Amino acid sequence: MPAMNNILPELRAKLSMTQGDLAEALNVSRQTVNALEKGRYDPSLPLAFAIAKLFKCRIEDIFDPR
Amino acid sequence: MAAAANAPIKYAGRDYLVEVAIATTLYVGAAASRHWLIAQAPNPALKLAAAIIPALPIWGLFWVVYRYYRRIDEFEKQKFLETLALSFGIGSSLVCTWAFLSDAGISVLGITWAWPTLAVTWALTGGIMHFLRR
Repeated sequence: MPAMNNILPELRAKLSMTQGDLAEALNVSRQTVNALEKGRYDPSLPLAFAIAKLFKCRIEDIFDPR
Repeated sequence: MAAAANAPIKYAGRDYLVEVAIATTLYVGAAASRHWLIAQAPNPALKLAAAIIPALPIWGLFWVVYRYYRRIDEFEKQKFLETLALSFGIGSSLVCTWAFLSDAGISVLGITWAWPTLAVTWALTGGIMHFLRR
C-alpha cells in the first residue's frame, strides 16, 4: 500500500529528463519510474538513496509520508 | 549470475520474449516428435534419451524465467511474483479440478499438457493483471 508523496516529476523536469532518461540513470524500467511518480509504488531504501544521490538531495526532501 | 543482475534492464523484456519463444518452439517440436524419436531409437538407453528430450526445453524455460527475474528491477519483481503466485494458484486448481472430473469419465490429460496449461494460465493472468494495474 503506497503511502508517499514525492516531487520526482518536478526534479526530473528541472533536469529536462524524460521518464526514460531517469529510468536509464537508475537502471530501472520506465514503468517503474511512472509508478514511483504516480505514487503507486514506494521505492526500497537502496533505490531511494540512488534517487536522492542522482538529484543531490536528501531522501526526505523527495519523499514525504502522506 | 551477477552479470545478468547488473545488465541494463531496458533489454530484459526483449531478451526474455526471444528466449521464451525459442524454448517454447523447442518444446513443441520435441513433444510432437518424441514418439517418432523413441520408435527410431535402436536400444533402451537411446529410447530413454529420446523420451527425455521434451523435458530439456522445460528446464531451459525455467532458466530463462529465473534469468529474467534476476535482471528486472524491484517493482517489476513485485509484479512478476504477484502474477506468478496467482497463476500458480489458478493453474494448479484447474489441473486438480480436471483430475477430479476424470473420475466422472472426462478424458485424462497427459503430462505433456501440464506445462502448456500452466504457461497459458500464466500468460492470461499476466494480461489481466497488466490491465488491472493500469
